[in-house]
Amino acid sequence: MMDVIQQLREQAKKLLEEKKVDLVIGFGQGTELARTTPVFIDSPEGVSKLTWGPFCANNLAKYLTDYKNAPGNIAVVVKGCDSRSINRLLDDNQISRDKVVIIGVPCSGQLEWQKVSAEIKPGASLKEVVDNGDSVSVKTDAGDYKFDKKDYLLHRCLVCENPNPVVSDLTIGKEQPVKNYEDRFAEVQALEQMSTEEKNAYWDKQFSRCLRCYACRNVCSVCTCQTCVFDQMLPMWVSKRTNLSENTAFHLTRAFHVAGRCVDCGECDRVCPMDIPLRKLNQKIHKDLGDLFESPTPGTKPGLVSPLGEFSPGDPEEFM
Amino acid sequence: MESRVVNKGQISELLDKLAKDYNLIAPIKEETMTLFRRVSGAQDVLLDYNNSDISPKGCFLPQNEKTFSYMYTGDTLEINKPEGVQKTVLFGARPCDIKAILTFDPVFEGVKFGDEYYSNKRKSTVIIGLSCSKVLSTCFCYAMGGGPCDGTGSDLLLTEIGDKYYVEVNTEKGKALVDAYSQIFSSQGAEQLAKDKEELAKKLSGEFVRKVDLTGVKEVLDGNFELPYWDGDNAKKCIGCGTCTYVCPTCHCFDIFDYPTGDFTGDRLRCWDSCMFPEYTLEAGGHNPRPTRKERIRNRFMHKIKYHLDRYNMVGCVGCGRCVNKCPVNIDITKIINDLKEVAQNV
Repeated sequence: MMDVIQQLREQAKKLLEEKKVDLVIGFGQGTELARTTPVFIDSPEGVSKLTWGPFCANNLAKYLTDYKNAPGNIAVVVKGCDSRSINRLLDDNQISRDKVVIIGVPCSGQLEWQKVSAEIKPGASLKEVVDNGDSVSVKTDAGDYKFDKKDYLLHRCLVCENPNPVVSDLTIGKEQPVKNYEDRFAEVQALEQMSTEEKNAYWDKQFSRCLRCYACRNVCSVCTCQTCVFDQMLPMWVSKRTNLSENTAFHLTRAFHVAGRCVDCGECDRVCPMDIPLRKLNQKIHKDLGDLFESPTPGTKPGLVSPLGEFSPGDPEEFM
Repeated sequence: MESRVVNKGQISELLDKLAKDYNLIAPIKEETMTLFRRVSGAQDVLLDYNNSDISPKGCFLPQNEKTFSYMYTGDTLEINKPEGVQKTVLFGARPCDIKAILTFDPVFEGVKFGDEYYSNKRKSTVIIGLSCSKVLSTCFCYAMGGGPCDGTGSDLLLTEIGDKYYVEVNTEKGKALVDAYSQIFSSQGAEQLAKDKEELAKKLSGEFVRKVDLTGVKEVLDGNFELPYWDGDNAKKCIGCGTCTYVCPTCHCFDIFDYPTGDFTGDRLRCWDSCMFPEYTLEAGGHNPRPTRKERIRNRFMHKIKYHLDRYNMVGCVGCGRCVNKCPVNIDITKIINDLKEVAQNV
């Protein structure tokens, strides 16, 4: 892990020194041992802030649209899943390819920081993180800890499709083995087995908890509307009131608005303060798009046309 | 101050009785979440929890509140206010969250403006606090004038010690409740438990790992509204969601709007609002006093560590650590406080 961090810093420094970019967006140490935070580096001296490891859950491609109209180029550190966002943003004409330098880092899975943090002595400081393949060793000044990936990985990482970036200008770190997951949609299939009443009850319970903080929408790299319909005051499509009806309207609209564009980065799931399993909604759409249109996960290749964004006379129209 | 003792074996009996006699709000487990909800008896109540995901502030300032309904009949406008509030017991609130309610009081029960919706609920609610048994890595109540076993603001404070709860009776309201259930609240052994509680408080206060010190921070903010610090990484990484404000026990901004239920009928609602949202305080003419995330972030943190102090001489943060824990991008108020102390050296 240390050599990846070293190389990241060197490359970022080079990019800034040679004025190839004005800004590097990467991961820096967060305020908890097992946590990172996005950092924005605009000078070669700042690169020492950069870090890497199994606590880099955020999808930093999200920030690229913030700099859409800014002068200068931007480098961004992405994992495999995040790199799908870049392809998608390019296809949506949200960013221009020549303004972005993509620093791809192969990833062997991200751990849930809260779970890891709960095991580590509070106040301990980090010495080193070592990836052992099936587990991660965290060495601290208060002792060494080992975390089995199967128990600590973020949900989304358990069925990772792209451990290696699908688009990048420079890749740092060792390529990771790609696995095939037969049961990638197991959770969705379990939901599909439920009766309509059971499904309703399940989602009603989830949506009732929603605070409508809009973290799921705001963290989404492909939610790129300038003004979201849910922020509009006139007309007020949904009010500030939280109730099952309006919460449901929000969540279903959100899921369908990114249908065919959602890259399955799982950030909506991660950030929900009420643990609403939002990714399941998007996964259901992914599964259906796969079944109906043999459509791959959006963003896995550049130039993929969204199945809902094109019309072909050969499309099945069983519902007509 | 009086004190009592409750055997752990009797806590269920107490909760069942409270649920019968009052509208009982207590911590429960819903899937992975710890939330405060109305309960029908002891069976649902979670007694062993670190801190709830959402604070119990909704007992006094619900996320959605109907202030009145209106009906226009052509000649007259009929206004109907909701029925009176129920007698309520808020059970199991942690000291930080109770302290947060104290920060609401001067806002809603101020000299200039009183808010009957708030004060009616405040008056008819008995707060039974529960001391913490563990300090989390995100906790910093000690730095905001609180403590894991601090009963300030509670009517009763329960502290778990062995197979008993030590009960501090802090107000007349608390006394009345203890007297009403005198068969459960005994006085036997209270002196020893008082000492044990002191010990526990001392032990826990040594377990905080976050170094936070507000000294001098307000002073630097007083004279410097436009600090370049606010242009930094926090404004860049903030995604503008309302998580920090909604999980915050002291955030109390709300929006008022009419919700028509027909052509001439409707409800006037008051709902939580968040200064992180782009339409927050957006003016009718289109002007937004806080147009970007920089101004919004500055507002949120200035509110906590300056404005609330200016207005009410109370710090607007209680150190519960929820925003630290839940922020999707790890914006951390304790880091901001420490950063500002550093900034203070150079201004």
